[in-house]
Amino acid sequence: MLERIARERVATLFLVTVIVLLLVGMAAPGFLSARTASIIWSNGLVLMLVALGIFPVILTRNIDVSGGSVLGLSAVTLGLTVNAGAPLPVGIAAALGAGAAAGALNGGLVALLGVPSIVATLGTLGLFRGVMLIATGGEWIEELPQGVKDLADKGFFGLSAIGIVALAVIVVVWLVLRTRRGRWIFAVGDNREAARHLGLPVRRIEFFAFVWAGLMYAIAGIAFAAQIGFVPNQAGSGLELRAIAALVLGGISLLGGVGSVAGVVIGVIFFTSIDTALVFLKIPAYWNDLIGGAMLLAVLLIDGRLRIALEARDRAARYRRGGTQPSKSRDLEEAA
Amino acid sequence: MKRLMMRWEVLLLGILVLELAVFGAINPRFLNLGSLLYGTSDFVQVGIVAVPLTLVIIAGGIDVSFASTVGLCAITFGIANFFGMPLAVSLGVGFATGALAGLLNATIIRLTRLQPLVVTLGGLYMFSGAATVLSGVVGANGFDGIGGFPAAFTGLGYQMIFGLPMPLFVFLSFSLVMLVLLHVTRFGRLVFQIGQNESAARHAGMPVARVQMLTYVITGLAAALAGLLLSAYFGSARVDLGKATLLPAITAAVLGGASIYGGQGSVIGTIIATFIIGYLQQGLQMSGVPSQVSSALSGALLVVVVAMRHGAPLLREFIPVRPRPSE
Amino acid sequence: MTSVLAELGRVSKSYGNVPVLKGVDFEVRAGEVHALLGGNGAGKSTLMKILAGLIAPSAGRVSIGGAPLSPATPAQAQAMGLYLVPQEAHIFPNQSVLENICIGLPRRAEAYRTRIRDLIAELGVALSPDAKASTLEIADRQVVEILRGLVREAKVLILDEPTSALTPHEVETLFERMRALRETGHGLVFISHKLHELRAVSDRITVLRDGYVMHSAKMSESGDAEILAAMSPGVGALRERRADRARAERKTLEVTGLCGEGFVDISFDLHHGEVLGLTGVVGAGRTELAETLVGLRPRAGGKIALEGRPFLARTPREAVRQNVVILSEDRQQYGLFLDAPLFWNTSSLVHYLLPFVLRPSAERARFEGYRKTLGIKCETADQPVRSLSGGNQQKVLLSKCLAAKPRVLILDEPTRGVDVGARNDIYELIEQLADAGTAVLLISSDFDEVVRLSDRIAVMAGGHLVGALAGGSSTDEIAQLAFESKEAAHA
Repeated sequence: MLERIARERVATLFLVTVIVLLLVGMAAPGFLSARTASIIWSNGLVLMLVALGIFPVILTRNIDVSGGSVLGLSAVTLGLTVNAGAPLPVGIAAALGAGAAAGALNGGLVALLGVPSIVATLGTLGLFRGVMLIATGGEWIEELPQGVKDLADKGFFGLSAIGIVALAVIVVVWLVLRTRRGRWIFAVGDNREAARHLGLPVRRIEFFAFVWAGLMYAIAGIAFAAQIGFVPNQAGSGLELRAIAALVLGGISLLGGVGSVAGVVIGVIFFTSIDTALVFLKIPAYWNDLIGGAMLLAVLLIDGRLRIALEARDRAARYRRGGTQPSKSRDLEEAA
Repeated sequence: MKRLMMRWEVLLLGILVLELAVFGAINPRFLNLGSLLYGTSDFVQVGIVAVPLTLVIIAGGIDVSFASTVGLCAITFGIANFFGMPLAVSLGVGFATGALAGLLNATIIRLTRLQPLVVTLGGLYMFSGAATVLSGVVGANGFDGIGGFPAAFTGLGYQMIFGLPMPLFVFLSFSLVMLVLLHVTRFGRLVFQIGQNESAARHAGMPVARVQMLTYVITGLAAALAGLLLSAYFGSARVDLGKATLLPAITAAVLGGASIYGGQGSVIGTIIATFIIGYLQQGLQMSGVPSQVSSALSGALLVVVVAMRHGAPLLREFIPVRPRPSE
Repeated sequence: MTSVLAELGRVSKSYGNVPVLKGVDFEVRAGEVHALLGGNGAGKSTLMKILAGLIAPSAGRVSIGGAPLSPATPAQAQAMGLYLVPQEAHIFPNQSVLENICIGLPRRAEAYRTRIRDLIAELGVALSPDAKASTLEIADRQVVEILRGLVREAKVLILDEPTSALTPHEVETLFERMRALRETGHGLVFISHKLHELRAVSDRITVLRDGYVMHSAKMSESGDAEILAAMSPGVGALRERRADRARAERKTLEVTGLCGEGFVDISFDLHHGEVLGLTGVVGAGRTELAETLVGLRPRAGGKIALEGRPFLARTPREAVRQNVVILSEDRQQYGLFLDAPLFWNTSSLVHYLLPFVLRPSAERARFEGYRKTLGIKCETADQPVRSLSGGNQQKVLLSKCLAAKPRVLILDEPTRGVDVGARNDIYELIEQLADAGTAVLLISSDFDEVVRLSDRIAVMAGGHLVGALAGGSSTDEIAQLAFESKEAAHA
């Protein structure tokens, strides 16, 4: 049983999410509806995109905490270009370009210069936020054109354009990680020295993980701007931490090499469900951080203890095997 | 190693002097002794948390939760005061909160053996969430915070001791204690050696868990100190008092020479780096640079400095070493 | 038969100011097994890493299949048909065996499944392609590395001490495989410490010492004495085993029926002023036993007495406080603080005895004392250990152990990665310690070393004590006990 819980992390989290939703549904009638599902999905979109961005970076055993700032920077790039009269596709391209450039800077620092990723991205977290504020002069960008807001409007099957993009990204990541080269990402995080030994382009893989992250933050930035229709100067702030928390919940190891797309999705949905449920339960919003933080710590604690217990059991089993097997054969030898 | 470290600290001091000279040239008012001294009140809280954070980093850990602990301790102090406790008791409540926060971080890290970054990230959320909820208890809104402190307390924020403003005095004397603790005592030696090689430390019978735990508790206490100081300075306890210290404090520790991989760092370096970062912000503002630019520049500063420290050996590989002329 | 598959020409390599290779020529021809022999620190591994593109040489040529290795990367070397099977297998613990073998190949792992299954069958090993790599034992990890080389169809295969973790039976299978590869025109480089193994399969032999080629000739034309002389003039220079010391009857350590992780029912006495050699092959449970004695691993049962009184160390701290000290086999990971000053290292085991306010001058003086008695070559007491050579690092590690005034000193592979000169110094020191009354438990896989130093010898295999021998027994007797028991364990 314990083994199941620890080894099938995604399934466990999925079950927990379902149970939580059911409990909330009992307490607040009307919660369990297609409408709620749709709210959770659209509330979680931005977080989902940021998490999908950080995911490969963490798989390579690095970390990126600059996500919120890159998101803000990309959103501002979009806002400024379209408000200056550029057509929407140009604005989107500019935003994506800004995200990729930011990711390339992170990747360059980490993969080429060898700066520890936590330090490098903490630095760029401040840097990108500052660049964004310089670009806007500290003002909010308001009155985004309708074209931007339309991206968040429901279309096919209740999915918005950005919703479709997010789904597509999930599928793409899932597919890419199954390919031959996709497995390299896991390999780099699992054992960097071994990956190098086997001739994998370790630095290039790390670099592209960061560029991919930048691109995803940019899409998240576009989604953010489209959903709320303006860009505040703190857009995205703190999102990177929420995304990392969601990834950890979803069983993605910060030690690299372990994790699945399903884990990312369920982790994000779990986090968003809690927030949405709190609203339904009419619990004031200021409880969110306390509950979110306590939940994260509780999950870490349970998960960590389970893992340690399992490791101790495996270890004991290994030594039992190692200890008794020779003794038996020695007896045989003596008998013969 | 020591000689190298000294060189780094000397280099930092040079950067600080250069920085002051440049800002002085742009705006002579900047070099006014009074404004230099009082200006420190705007940033010493960064140093107060950065110095013990240096210890945490040297011992192989990291703590990001202090940014919320600052606000949480201020709020618990404010609540104790709100319910009419004597000042000393209220202060005790504030410090106890800080110590407990540090203890919680360290205990969870110890129990789960997870990376400290993740655990303290959870702490960062939870402590700020707890502070928000607690401040709601006494009906304070997030913006004004909890006020109504006795004059004896708020007066502290503006007192002068030995010709120094109170916050600066607190920072310097606290740093001095940390300096001695890290560089002169057995405890400090253990902090370094545990960070350099945790398994060897374990094999040598060093009290790894206890030492690491203490570094987190000291950081919690320092966060409380910063929170109380800021509450006195502003006359109210707010949830977000420490939010702005997160990045600058880590920057100060790393800029000061602490290696994120553990085993290396210096209190003096962190102190000098605190002044570099603090005066950079102020100098830029006084030179008419908008505050957003200065925040970008402090981020850039961290990036450039670490890139230089890590990139330098790499560059050497690309540039062929010329044979030295014979001596 | 004579076509050259890979060649190194006048290759030199220095780390900082320390030259490791000094103009080495080396070649691998098609259809031959080329043995590469040399003591610790002779530069064998560095030479092969240069050939495999893992390290760039300071000077010299590297070519594979007649073309220069450019760029000098492992990927390029592999593309040109060379694979290095490293001494310690590189494993991706969270991936399957199949993925571990096939990563980096031009097609997806599944495409190689049948080929891998055939290779596993040919090798005659029990290995499931779908097992998670973290569950593999050391020998199986080595097999994964060998499979990597085979499935890549490398024309040149370098095997860096592939036999150290294998049973004699597995070694024989590997040799058959190597002979088969030789018949199909492959070139192999075989690195080993064991001369009889090299003789069994090699056509040519090259001996490295201190970064120079000391001997290179056909195997059949090289005599044992010639090879040994080329390998280390120190063999002759090593002092003879000293005469048997009168064994004190005082028992310092009595171990009765001790059980723990990886060993069961171990009983032995360790006398005052005696060197007890504890030997066996890798994985026999010796290190686990030693670590259990000092409280680094949990004890499952049995009794230990120290000078007649029950001894229980649940943590290494408790052991040190009773002057029971271990010198760890892995000096870089568990022994030294590489970036700390030398005198910090000397003080690190007795850290609890230091005054709260440190007195570095006293600590430097203590280090100075050990520097003299141990002959540590260094500039100041403040330089980091990392800047010293392997032999001097080992002496610093010894100073750390001696500072704790050991009654029982457990030495786990005390001369691993140490050059001949320092090895002699360490041997001498061990004898002096024993003469002064320290009870020394010497754990070593080097049978010659055990024979030379020990007053009595105990042999472990498969977690059991399988035999006790008198000092001065022959290495053959030891080998018989150590290997036969291991074979039986695996049968």
